[in-house]
Amino acid sequence: MTGTPKPPSSRPGLVPGVLSILAMLLLWTLASQLTDRPQTLPAPWDVAARIARLSASGELWFNAGMTLFRVVASFALAMAAGMALGLWMGRSRGADQWFNPGVIILLNVPALVVIVLCYIWIGLNETAAILAVALNKIPVVTVMIREGTRALRPDLDDMARAFRMAPLARLRHVVLPQLAPHIAAAARAGISLIWKIVLVVEFLGRSNGVGFKIHLLFSSFDVTGVLAWALAFVAVMLAIDLFLLRPWERRANRWRQDAA
Amino acid sequence: MRLELDGKSFGSREVLGALTLSVARGERVAILGPSGIGKSTLLRILAGLDRAYRGRLDGADRLAVVFQEPVLLPWRDAVANIIIPTGCDAATARDWLAQVGLAGHEGKFPRQLSLGQQRRLALARAFAAAPDILLMDEPFASLDAGTAGRMLALTDALLTRTGAGLVLVTHDPREAEALHARPLLLAGQPARLQTRLQKD
Repeated sequence: MTGTPKPPSSRPGLVPGVLSILAMLLLWTLASQLTDRPQTLPAPWDVAARIARLSASGELWFNAGMTLFRVVASFALAMAAGMALGLWMGRSRGADQWFNPGVIILLNVPALVVIVLCYIWIGLNETAAILAVALNKIPVVTVMIREGTRALRPDLDDMARAFRMAPLARLRHVVLPQLAPHIAAAARAGISLIWKIVLVVEFLGRSNGVGFKIHLLFSSFDVTGVLAWALAFVAVMLAIDLFLLRPWERRANRWRQDAA
Repeated sequence: MRLELDGKSFGSREVLGALTLSVARGERVAILGPSGIGKSTLLRILAGLDRAYRGRLDGADRLAVVFQEPVLLPWRDAVANIIIPTGCDAATARDWLAQVGLAGHEGKFPRQLSLGQQRRLALARAFAAAPDILLMDEPFASLDAGTAGRMLALTDALLTRTGAGLVLVTHDPREAEALHARPLLLAGQPARLQTRLQKD
């Protein structure tokens, strides 16, 4: 590993990134102009106009806000439960053997089944919606954190024990910093998975949110509307990744970079 | 502290036999022996890191360990590497950094320090814990002769100043001499402690 900082790598290909998005837009425009049924593939400016209208009416903010609330709540729940379970399973062989079958089963139960069962068992309410999304994500976080926990450095563990560090201090200063890359990866993979599942949950059993709106638009085959809602929310999630997750990851990994 | 060991085995292999070791504050003991004989295992038992042995360990002395490797928190700077494990205050941490010759390096991360500096940081951390007895596991191995010599002199001076006791594990009798530690030889299968005189 070289000690010299590499500024270009901190901004991975800004120019190619923008160009690639422009190319996709161009392709979309061409395709929309070539099709003889504009309602199946509307032009980008039609979608943009719809986003502008939704945003002006406030509808966009309310429903995107509801979806975002569900994303954040289920994300927090899944990360907390998954990290606790993953740490436990990584540390204790017994816990691993007891919980592993359950984790494997939950990993392989289709998201849709978990959602339907939650709605039936708990009811068509917010608790069921958030729990259903979290249950889909918990095993993924658990497995990633468990692998990270197994790779914890035993020498640092010895040091913490030899100096009689308190359990909480050990967790905060010895364990979590080592797990930071795994937590970041789980969070990154999790947030994109979660918002997709949130839409399904809303589609099936909520009366607001982006997924609910798409449900309505689906019944009227309104592709412009579907694309408008989807793109608007993709933009929100990209902003979260860019302005929340990445800066946090950079901060957590700062100590790796500054070799003298 | 006093260890009365009846035996320690890994699986069916008996590593350490019956032995008694007692060290008091101000007393310095070196445990010598070839590698693989069980010196580090004995030190881990003394440090309370290995409890799967037959015997008993008494004593309420404050202990601090200097490991073979510096074992620092790579994500914390030098001062925090002393404060977090020992719980001492920042002024004490800075003072110990200065005493091991690391003044001016307070804000550096372990990666930014040379191996010799990292070992001195580990030494400062151990002394900042205000130990009655310092446990050291081959702390001078893999250092060049000059650096090892300076580390030995520094350790000797700090032990004298603080009055802490010492259990040093090493394969090199000269290190024991330099630290004025009473040499004990760990030998045999399973290994037992012998004073050097009996051995010679």
